[in-house]
Amino acid sequence: MKTVKSSFKFKGGVHPDYNKELARDKAIERMPVPAELVVSMSQHLGAPAKCVVKAGDFVTRGQLIGEKNGFISVCVRAPADGKVKAVEKRLGPAGGKADAVILDTTAKPEGESDERRETGDGSSHVSRPSSPILPPLDWKTASREDLLKRVEEAGICGMGGAGFPTNVKLNPPPGKRCEYLVLNGAECEPYLTADYRVMLERADRIRVGVEIMRKVLGGPAVRIAIEANKPEAIAAMEKAFADIDGNVEIVVLPVLYPQGSEKHQIFATVGRVVPEPPALPIDVGCVVENVGTVAAIADAVEKGEPLLERVTTVSGDAVAEPKNVLAPSGTKYSDLIAFCGGEKVPPAKLISGGTMMGFAVSTPEIATTKTTSGLLLLSPKRVFQYSSQACINCGRCVRACPMNLNAAEIAKAVEADDVKAAEDAHVMTCIECGACSFSCPAYRPITQFCRRAKNSIRARIAAEKAKAAAAAGK
Amino acid sequence: MVWTVSAENWYNIGMSYIIITLVGAVLVNNFVLSRFLGCCPFLGVSKKLDTALGMSGAVVFVMTIASAVTWCLDHWLLTPNGLGYIHTLAFILVIAALVQFIDIAMKKFVPPLHAALGIFLPLITTNCAVLGAAELNYKQGLGFVPSVFFSFAAAVGFGFALVLFSGIREKLAHADPPRCFRGIALALVTGGLLALAFMGFSGLDKGIERILK
Amino acid sequence: MTMAILCIAGVGLVAAVVLAIADRYLSVREDPRIGMVTAALPGANCGGCGFPGCDGYARALVAGTAPNGACAAGGEACAAEIAKILGVAAVATERRVALVKCCGTRSEAIRVGDYNGICDCNVAAATAGGDKGCTYGCLGYGACANVCPKGAISIRDGLAKVDKRLCIGCGKCVTACPKKIIELVPASATIHVLCANPDKGPQVRKVCGVGCMGCHLCEKNSGGKEANHFTFQGFLAKVNYENPPTDEQIVAKCPAKCMSVDPHFESGH
Repeated sequence: MKTVKSSFKFKGGVHPDYNKELARDKAIERMPVPAELVVSMSQHLGAPAKCVVKAGDFVTRGQLIGEKNGFISVCVRAPADGKVKAVEKRLGPAGGKADAVILDTTAKPEGESDERRETGDGSSHVSRPSSPILPPLDWKTASREDLLKRVEEAGICGMGGAGFPTNVKLNPPPGKRCEYLVLNGAECEPYLTADYRVMLERADRIRVGVEIMRKVLGGPAVRIAIEANKPEAIAAMEKAFADIDGNVEIVVLPVLYPQGSEKHQIFATVGRVVPEPPALPIDVGCVVENVGTVAAIADAVEKGEPLLERVTTVSGDAVAEPKNVLAPSGTKYSDLIAFCGGEKVPPAKLISGGTMMGFAVSTPEIATTKTTSGLLLLSPKRVFQYSSQACINCGRCVRACPMNLNAAEIAKAVEADDVKAAEDAHVMTCIECGACSFSCPAYRPITQFCRRAKNSIRARIAAEKAKAAAAAGK
Repeated sequence: MVWTVSAENWYNIGMSYIIITLVGAVLVNNFVLSRFLGCCPFLGVSKKLDTALGMSGAVVFVMTIASAVTWCLDHWLLTPNGLGYIHTLAFILVIAALVQFIDIAMKKFVPPLHAALGIFLPLITTNCAVLGAAELNYKQGLGFVPSVFFSFAAAVGFGFALVLFSGIREKLAHADPPRCFRGIALALVTGGLLALAFMGFSGLDKGIERILK
Repeated sequence: MTMAILCIAGVGLVAAVVLAIADRYLSVREDPRIGMVTAALPGANCGGCGFPGCDGYARALVAGTAPNGACAAGGEACAAEIAKILGVAAVATERRVALVKCCGTRSEAIRVGDYNGICDCNVAAATAGGDKGCTYGCLGYGACANVCPKGAISIRDGLAKVDKRLCIGCGKCVTACPKKIIELVPASATIHVLCANPDKGPQVRKVCGVGCMGCHLCEKNSGGKEANHFTFQGFLAKVNYENPPTDEQIVAKCPAKCMSVDPHFESGH
């Protein structure tokens, strides 16, 4: 096992102010289970889970409340004991509405004593404190199929933000072999320090997770990618992986946004380029997973603990005490903010995620999901109301684009309603990282233009597919 | 402009003539940007690169064949009978019939291009560019091959200017000019600027002539 | 002199013969009805029929692959003329116009945030669901106004309104709206419910001063359930356009003030 410096640097990228010192040195703190949890059925990429409980049911921690619905889907489990108050549509951070189970965690069935509910490792409501939810497995002796099934049952999806079902990612289709397993510890978004703290404090879990994933993927080489501005995390990972066998390397990456993007991680660690969509990383023999997901896999297999909670960085200059909070999924943002001392000043912006690719939300009644890595409260000092002007063809966005696209041309084409020209300029390769909007001196919302073009093109392709299917059906 | 070759040597065409004619007809005395012949299809078909290329091809074809036919007509029918004074009338008759023929042939063999060019294909008939090339050939009184080559070079120049202009217009389509300038107004201004730019080539053919001689 | 005339005549004759031969062997026979139908169509090239321009629709009509009456812009008169040309029976179609089912202007419906971005409803809706408190309502950034080929939609105080006199019923605005609150309604119907929020009354009141609360008063005042002038989706009243109400009094009696008599004219509502 050795530590190397990355020998590949991608063109483009920007350097936003990171402001990570607000929450970097705050150890992960577990918050008490809030009185109400809003557990969404759509916390992942793919079809939303099918709800299997109804209003009035009592559920225990870890009980299945949403069944996997299709191949690209993930199941949902109750993050705490409680009574189902209702199952209704609630607003998600991205603006869409999805079915959610409203859980009242203070309610308990008749005749149940309170003692059973006080014990546990810090959480106030644990149904069976000493027995795990799923039977623990010994990864050394368990079969590959059992391990994959455990990942599926635990409801694990990519915790870096996209939420792709992990059991699907770890099971490449026949004919495609995984040669490199890349651990994404870059965390290039400003303000966020959740992955950093996980690497510092739970490095041993990551080690176990890597062993499990190596077994499932058939023994690929492992590359742990960490940005150079996290030396303590690098040291912690070096210590945890010191005696591991096989081709394992820690790759130190230059500090650049969006280093944490899947395709750029592959390029920086292995030097391979993923072709245009619909090509996926597995087509170049790579699987990229967030370090949080890896730790979750270790817990699911060894401890039988499904994915019920995650570390979320609550930061920004409008929150009293920035912290890295370990909260159950379904925690409302208002509860998170209250746990962190409340608002120091009324925030001008509430962002779910990071400042570059996060979603600005309009209400703190939205709840966390398995992929919420951060909650930022920004004061009016830090938020800038802009009015965009015409493009001056300065080319800063073209220089900044990490996918080598001509962002200015795409934005101008979309503004003139010429989606075909945007498609010819390869807008479908855009990863919506926001580097272009960040660097524009005329404050043009270029990322929004790209997103609009991509939605238009996707809608058109879907309509064409539907038409072709209808014609074929006739 | 170009030194004359006697009509008897109608097959005689030297390398230096080729270079000078090409440079002259394409850059120095571009039919559209210097002589301002053929502005109608130039402005009408230059919105997209594909239609521009299609139109260029059509004009090259028409101009070359038209100049060949008109040269023969003049050399064998009009001039020997002293009817040089009605050459314009005869030329326009031949060009009109030729373009009509090409219109029918295109509709049969390349219907998409025919639909894309639309009204601008028969417009080549009343287009001064084709008649202008024929007239210039008559005035220069060169042999068959030099005349045809000159028309071919002139058509290539027309196509060159058209492709350049369509490239600019495709980019301009995404721009956001003031209301009064939108559409053809901005195109005309751009065309004028392009014509100004091409004035920078003046004297180039004289210089090459001096080098080659 | 004669020589000149003979020469020109001769050249002309040769040209005519060549063209005649070309026309005989090279020309493409096209149905003359296509030209006649194209002339009968309004020529707006709006694409509302689903075909590429009036020429495309004419070709499909003559080929028999398109139904007559798909041209909303031409309306009944056009359909009748086309039927005459093609020699088929005319199909009666009623004129339909677009209606924006929302009356929540900026002054009546609250906005929960400042939207800073591209002035387009689809983009705004993709950003946290839009900045309007009511997640079902019109965002007012003009996606519908931009696609209308007749310029019949105007945005006033953050709300889109369709001018019935200009609307040709092509349906482009219906597809453009991300909230899907524009509906094509019969032009003859005068009473409409301008709301699309099916939530309970108190929830609607929290986000909009003029939202439908589902009180059923409109149904009661127009003859009750048996009269079948209204249907209800959750707590939202919807006019039954196959049997629309005609009593304009029920509009005044609506406590939420979300109903309107002919909201299409500029001065309406």
